[in-house]
Amino acid sequence: MDFIQTVFTSFVSLIPVTLAQSLILAFVVLGIMIPFRTLNFPDLTSEGAFPLGGCVCGVLLAAGASPLTALAVALIAGFLAGCCTAFIHLRFRIHTLLAGILMMTMLYSINLRIMGKSNLSVFGAPTVFDWAPFVQPGFPAAKIIVAGLIGAIVFILLNMFFKTEKGTAIRAVGANPDMAEAQGINVWVATIGGVGLASAFSATSGALMVQSQGFADVNMGLGILINGLAALMIGEAIVGKQTVLRQLAAPFVGAVVYYQLVSFCLAAGMPPPDLKLATGLFVLAMLALPSLRRSRGPAQARETVRE
Amino acid sequence: MLEIRSARKVFYKGQADEKVALDGLSLKLATGEFGVVIGSNGAGKSSMLNAISGALVLDSGQILINGDDVTGMPVHKRAIRLARVFQDPMKGTAASMTVAENMLLADLRSKKRTLRQGLNASRLAAYKERLALLGLGLENRLDTRVELLSGGQRQSLSLIMAVGGSPDLLLLDEHTAALDPRTADIVMQATVRAVDALKLTTLMVTHNMQHAVDFGHSVIMLDAGKLRLEISGEEKAKVTVVDLIGHFSVKTDRMLLAS
Repeated sequence: MDFIQTVFTSFVSLIPVTLAQSLILAFVVLGIMIPFRTLNFPDLTSEGAFPLGGCVCGVLLAAGASPLTALAVALIAGFLAGCCTAFIHLRFRIHTLLAGILMMTMLYSINLRIMGKSNLSVFGAPTVFDWAPFVQPGFPAAKIIVAGLIGAIVFILLNMFFKTEKGTAIRAVGANPDMAEAQGINVWVATIGGVGLASAFSATSGALMVQSQGFADVNMGLGILINGLAALMIGEAIVGKQTVLRQLAAPFVGAVVYYQLVSFCLAAGMPPPDLKLATGLFVLAMLALPSLRRSRGPAQARETVRE
Repeated sequence: MLEIRSARKVFYKGQADEKVALDGLSLKLATGEFGVVIGSNGAGKSSMLNAISGALVLDSGQILINGDDVTGMPVHKRAIRLARVFQDPMKGTAASMTVAENMLLADLRSKKRTLRQGLNASRLAAYKERLALLGLGLENRLDTRVELLSGGQRQSLSLIMAVGGSPDLLLLDEHTAALDPRTADIVMQATVRAVDALKLTTLMVTHNMQHAVDFGHSVIMLDAGKLRLEISGEEKAKVTVVDLIGHFSVKTDRMLLAS
């Protein structure tokens, strides 16, 4: 009984901090969802774009730039990284996953070059979280308000965009590229723009994270992809993915629920090093579930690969 | 109108399995003409259609639509002028999107896509009206995702999408071949009605000799990447299935059975 109470108390005390963190990381989940679901372009760039955004933001903050400028430049850097991945795939006909791995490997060196060292403290530099109304800066509430507000704006804008003529065209490229092309849609522009946009969100997340935690690290992206995937799957399990609205809500809902779950596991005494194994097993289980449910026999000889 | 000038395309050039798909093919289709393309497998029918749509880049030769040279244009630019219905119902529609969204995509084929809302009330009403012409009940399923429709319904939707906006050129690539006889008939009747009503310049590839006899103003027969035969006017009106089959270089009973 005592154990349960301790676990519960430490979990509850961590809820605000975890919520702030999850609202910031929701942008990576969004950056993973857009290529995977909307563009049918399984992409790993976010693992490199997230620290890219962080490093760019860190360097700019250290140089005395305003937090908003740092955020904007990080966003543009992420956009360019995503464009590169899509271009590598389209121009050289390299598999999307391999193009993403190439990009994220190269980005590691680039991130190191940008910072000049493996980590950089920007503690005390002004952040976007200082601008939260009514609350004292530096507390989780400020982060929750600012990150939540940005998230809400992005969510509303994307939901509107994907229902415009241009947005419908981009979704068509993901649904059936041959058909989209035959309907006069430039598949290259849509893919490069879409993957770029997704990576821009990943980079924004990295930049927000750096402003939140007060330091940038080249290794901050390690494992972010699998965390993001796990969050996305939880989100889709909760709100579904049948409509544009639901699909867009899934990353945000998923991120919030996933990081609370992680926090609960840690509060319950799970050793932090085991976290990646647990997350990996969870994602595996979510991916395997439909095929286990479908048939008891061996897997079909030719089944489409699940992404 | 459509004009193909000595189009040539060779696959696997210089290799042991070199294949001449189009061997100096020239063809003219007048505005408003409905041409039916026949020919045995490997005669170059699909290559010709792909060359016209832009999916296949020619080694040499030219393709003109309404007098404009489109030879160097990518698929999405040519889409402003032409529409295509594929043999495979899966290919012509976006499965995970709704009927209305698919209609919207086709509607915007030759227009500039803006940042305005895609599906508005007036568009939805127009799509409803157009789909009602098919008599398949699709007008009441605008919000259904296309993957939930049957093959025949999907193909009918593809057709309505293709003829909407009156393209300069309509390409039909064995578009009833994958359907059951009754559905194939519905889709074919709808095709003829639309082509007649809108006076569309149309090129239809078919293996069905009865269709070649019944429909269209001319029959174009391809063989080994060349134009082998063109029957039009009076002669086309009198042609029979047996006549057509007689022209196939390899005469097989299968062709007759297929009709």
